Amino acid sequence: MIGEFIDGPLWYISSIVFVVAVVWRIIVILSFGRKKNLAKPRYSAGGGAMATILRRFFPYREFYEVSKFRIVAGYMFHIGLFALLFFAVPHIEFITSISGLSWAAMPHWAFILAAELSFFGLMYLFVFRLTNPVTRMLTTRGEYLGSVLVFVVMLTGCLALGRSHEFLRLFHLLSVELLLLYMPFSSLMHAFTFPFSRGFTGAVYHRRGLNI
Amino acid sequence: MNHQAFPQCHLLRWIPPVLLLLAVMLFAGSPALAQAPQKLSPDAVSMEDPGSELWRQIRQRGTSEPVGTSQVRSVESGVLINDLGERWAEFRMQELKHWGKYPLLLVIVILVVFYLLRGRVDIEGGLSGRMLHRFTHYERALHWVMASIFLFLGVTGLILLFGRSSLIPVFGKEVFSILASLSKEGHNLFGPLFAVSVVLMFFQFVRRNIYAKGDLSWLLKGGGFIGKGHVTGGFFNMGEKTWYWIFILVGAAVSISGMILLFPNFGQGRVIMGLSHVVHGIGSIVLMTIAIGHMYLGSIGSEGSLEAMKTGYVDYNWAAAHHDRWARECKDNNAVISPEQFAALIGEEPPRVSTGKPAVEVKS
Repeated sequence: MIGEFIDGPLWYISSIVFVVAVVWRIIVILSFGRKKNLAKPRYSAGGGAMATILRRFFPYREFYEVSKFRIVAGYMFHIGLFALLFFAVPHIEFITSISGLSWAAMPHWAFILAAELSFFGLMYLFVFRLTNPVTRMLTTRGEYLGSVLVFVVMLTGCLALGRSHEFLRLFHLLSVELLLLYMPFSSLMHAFTFPFSRGFTGAVYHRRGLNI
Repeated sequence: MNHQAFPQCHLLRWIPPVLLLLAVMLFAGSPALAQAPQKLSPDAVSMEDPGSELWRQIRQRGTSEPVGTSQVRSVESGVLINDLGERWAEFRMQELKHWGKYPLLLVIVILVVFYLLRGRVDIEGGLSGRMLHRFTHYERALHWVMASIFLFLGVTGLILLFGRSSLIPVFGKEVFSILASLSKEGHNLFGPLFAVSVVLMFFQFVRRNIYAKGDLSWLLKGGGFIGKGHVTGGFFNMGEKTWYWIFILVGAAVSISGMILLFPNFGQGRVIMGLSHVVHGIGSIVLMTIAIGHMYLGSIGSEGSLEAMKTGYVDYNWAAAHHDRWARECKDNNAVISPEQFAALIGEEPPRVSTGKPAVEVKS
């Protein structure tokens, strides 16, 4: 009964809420607009936007020295999660079953490596949030909830790796559905909004002649 | 010759030796024969089991080298029956599962009794409110990540080792099956992370855990938990150093043996796998047993200890009581901060001062 609900209606509801809310939020961000800047641009705004989107993948040297573990952990988590999400065999099979699309999956050892990196990175960052007074003060309850949800999704997915019990698969799917319902309304939206945020900053400053 | 009678006659010829064999087997199990040397009847027929030598060779008693040959080119492909496998299974099912639970139960009972009798070990002079910086953010984050992984591996490992006998009667087979499946997957997944944690812990803390002059007196006074009197200690006292080295060495053994079990595709045979399992099981129980004591002392067992891993700072009086040499060093370097400075650093209210007494002076 509950299994059918998780597999059926809840999956469709959470997927629709996720897609509609993400698109809606991006449209809202793009439709904000800003007053037309009449000053003569020193450099191209578009070039600055692209440069900043790419440059922000590399930390400033000054910041790196004091926060290298967090930066490394951040990359471990994000790259690992990306690999798990899009290149794990069960996920590709699932996407194929609902859309017909398919692509090459990563081998099992790569899956394990990605999961290890991702878990270690997430756990380190989560503990750092809790133990550092500055990050603890800045972190909201919603961000803790987002981190916990992502962790639970990853954990239940890996615990169901043996595909031995329907219960474990449903547990994983339920956690994914909760994440889909929560993600568009939380700071986890940065997965979609980071190019806009970086691009906007880069465009504004590059237009003024600043490289940041 | 009657075609029907021949097979019957053939079978009848086997009846006496079979009966004889049964009689010998029955008498062999009798107490009388077990005590007295066996005397065969003069009429007894001496028969050698034609299969015994074959099975002796297949089981390879007394040798670990494969004696068979096979077209399959893989590890131990020339071995049909590995006698050590049976001994490993017996060890796991009977000895490890039976004796393994006692250290864990014993340490819990000892700590409960100790807590009831002695209670929490309070700081001499109470909390002063003056603080010393003890652990960096990285060290605390590493500690808690490692602790989380350790606890997860401990729980899943216990489910895998003792679950069949202890959980099935409570939850039933279906629930245990799910628990065992997720425990196996989770244990295999987080195992390598524990190995990484052990390596990182080693490099981060090794310099401060080298035994030094004065550590032995800590041991002679039972770490301050037995009797009265001040115990001396540096940044880490002897108990903490010993726990560190046990954790590193046994943790390395558990990690390496776990890797051998997790990745069976590197040419290791069943003998090495069996031995690795033994090392993994015993080492894990040793680690868990001591870790329970560590958790007790780091939390409810000793006033002020948990602060070190929560905020990174400890009360000066706590340091003077447990790590007097380090406290003196900090004082000499003017590294003692006021409650207000501490509150500003961690963004919270000034720390609780239990007695309002000034900080305990550390003897030079």
